[in-house]
Amino acid sequence: MGHQISRRTLFRTVSGLAVAGALGTSLSACAGGTGAGSTSSDLTMTWWGSDDRHNAYKKSLAYFQKQNPKVKIRETYQGYDGYFDKFNTNIAGGSAPDLLQMDTALVAQYARKGVLAPLDSYVGKTLDLTGFSKTLLAAGTVDGKLYGVPSGIGVNQLTVNRSGLEKLGLKLPDREWTWADLKKVAQDVYKKSGGKTYGVDDGGGSTLQCFEVFAREKGQTFFSDDGKKLGFTSDTLQEWWEYWAEMRRTNASPPPAITSAAHNDLTKNAVVIGKALFTFDSGVYGAGGSITDAQLDFLPTPQGDFSGAREGNFVNGGVLLCATKASKKVADSVKIMNFFAQDDTAIKDMQLFRGIPPTEKARNLIASGLTETDKLNMENADYISQRVSKASNALPAPVPPPQGADQIWDLLFQSNLAVAFGKKSIKAQLSEFFDQAGGILGG
Amino acid sequence: MTTAQTGEVVKEPSAPATPSDQRERDRMRRRLARRRGGGWWPYLFLAPWFVGLFGLTIYPMLDSLYLSFTNFDLLTPAQWVGMDNYDRMFTDDPVFWDSVHATLVYVVVSVPLKLALALAVAMLLNRDLRGIGLYRAAFYLPSLLGGAVAIAIVWRQVFGGEGLFNDFLGWFGLNTGQDWISSPDTALYTLVLLAVWQFGTPMVIFLAGLKQLPKDVFEAAAIDGAGAVTRFFKITLPLLTPIVFFNVVLQIIDAFKTFTPAFVISNGSGGPLNSTMLYSLYLYKKGFTDLQMGYASALAWVLFLVIALFTAVNFIASRYWVHYDD
Repeated sequence: MGHQISRRTLFRTVSGLAVAGALGTSLSACAGGTGAGSTSSDLTMTWWGSDDRHNAYKKSLAYFQKQNPKVKIRETYQGYDGYFDKFNTNIAGGSAPDLLQMDTALVAQYARKGVLAPLDSYVGKTLDLTGFSKTLLAAGTVDGKLYGVPSGIGVNQLTVNRSGLEKLGLKLPDREWTWADLKKVAQDVYKKSGGKTYGVDDGGGSTLQCFEVFAREKGQTFFSDDGKKLGFTSDTLQEWWEYWAEMRRTNASPPPAITSAAHNDLTKNAVVIGKALFTFDSGVYGAGGSITDAQLDFLPTPQGDFSGAREGNFVNGGVLLCATKASKKVADSVKIMNFFAQDDTAIKDMQLFRGIPPTEKARNLIASGLTETDKLNMENADYISQRVSKASNALPAPVPPPQGADQIWDLLFQSNLAVAFGKKSIKAQLSEFFDQAGGILGG
Repeated sequence: MTTAQTGEVVKEPSAPATPSDQRERDRMRRRLARRRGGGWWPYLFLAPWFVGLFGLTIYPMLDSLYLSFTNFDLLTPAQWVGMDNYDRMFTDDPVFWDSVHATLVYVVVSVPLKLALALAVAMLLNRDLRGIGLYRAAFYLPSLLGGAVAIAIVWRQVFGGEGLFNDFLGWFGLNTGQDWISSPDTALYTLVLLAVWQFGTPMVIFLAGLKQLPKDVFEAAAIDGAGAVTRFFKITLPLLTPIVFFNVVLQIIDAFKTFTPAFVISNGSGGPLNSTMLYSLYLYKKGFTDLQMGYASALAWVLFLVIALFTAVNFIASRYWVHYDD
């Protein structure tokens, strides 16, 4: 019996090793060929989003196909998780979609790698961008060429559980508020709620929505213009992390386990689960309707002070629509982009599901049909974009983030968490952060 | 075949070889030769397997070996970078070491616990009770479910701050509201627990092994006054070592490759603080999210070599503790 077993063992072991090797198999399955473009005759379009956004897209596209019976669209959609993993695999396998929703954070990377089709030759012909501001179009512009049409205005804001705040007898802060005001109100929330609710989500690792604003106010960008370096100093980040360490110490912000659980998971967000009343947001709650019962309201990201500090807030392009370069149907894709940019029906269908609409005309079109929360969201976005356009000392809108940007954001998040969990001192983590970030951007 | 032949010879040892016998024997020899030599027929039947082996395993493996020396990013053609990927891995990638650490802890803790539990349950189920088949099926069930994404999602809920596990601790006044999944000190152990819970496969193998143990040895030992514990350590375990070895080898290989639960429970991030960044998850992240397929291929080859090494060490060590009864 023993002998039999040992032979079987050997056999199974060898097959086990083959399976281990299959790890390599699955990887190299993606090797070879960087072509794209689907073989089917349909135009393939893909996006990520919530159910609300899916339905709005589908409704609009059905209308588009009625108007343009020659264009057959195959729609694929999913949540954000894994969306770009799938896109990467599709490109490598030569089955990239013709038209896709693109993250403003990633557009530069894909454009520079030659994945996306430049759109400049269509502008003013089949692509009407009347009403799009220059700063907005910057979100889809890489190295001077337009690669994506912005769906709307994205601003960095705080979403506030206003009814929760009022229940504690606290007032919604003024829009011209400072980081000190945020600290004060967040500490009050903890005290007045008897320790049941924290004030504001931990923003120490939250890049786009708040740290970038904080740095820009000091005249520093997140990335240098050429995208090869970080644009802010160690002192700036140190000041930032010390602010949030103080916030956690005074229970103005929740402990790191709550922050960590909410990472990439909206359903665990502290405002959604009722553990905090303020959260940093780039339009997620406003777009797609609220997922709490509370009455929400919106505020710009705070400033240092208003006595002469630079304007740190900025406006970006929501999500983009892009065509892939290898697609044979770029002209049709551009038609669809134009449809979403200018067509009344599409604008009404999409509401705020892809951010605050980019043009004055579109905002007026949807204004009457909005929910209370959406109205407040749009007001706040208008307020921010007006303040930004009036500010004489604001930095230009950020450049599209370079390749590796998402790794750096993740690093910032993890670094703040390491400090919060008490695994690292701020000083030690600072040098580690800059060291690793340099490695990511340089290599 | 050989027995038939010798049997024939033994049957008529002294009979004279008539011409017809001679012819018969020649024909037999030819037939045998044909069967042994085989010609090209066997290869034809093996062809589908060979196509799979070379097309789906060997070629892609070699391709990934090549890619591991390039900076392939999935989107643009690969460029040769020599040993850079391997160099970077060992000298300039702290997350790599985080993932190695997480994976080793996972393997070293989960495999012995899982096997101990599997053996304990197999001992319990190795008796003739009414409805024993039902019990065996019930204990095997988690293994059928365990690899599923759904279970990993349930796990995330159970060990979350508001989860069932804390409710359970609450019965004993031990609920501190700890979020087990989101704390870097405990997150990995929720994965270990999930692995241990899926003890079904080694349990079934242990059970099969236990059933084959010779009864007489146990009876003799019992008559000589050996208690249950002595019998287990002096008889059951030594006789079972080939099976233990088999399970150890398989489970270690399996544990090294764990991906799904880590991916689902950490929401694809390997967090908090890379504490659940199992090696396969890191490899996936590098290849498909960070667009560093060349680097990911290098990671895959290091994993392959490490698994091979562990298995080889296992085989060598087995000479000293595995007893075959023949």
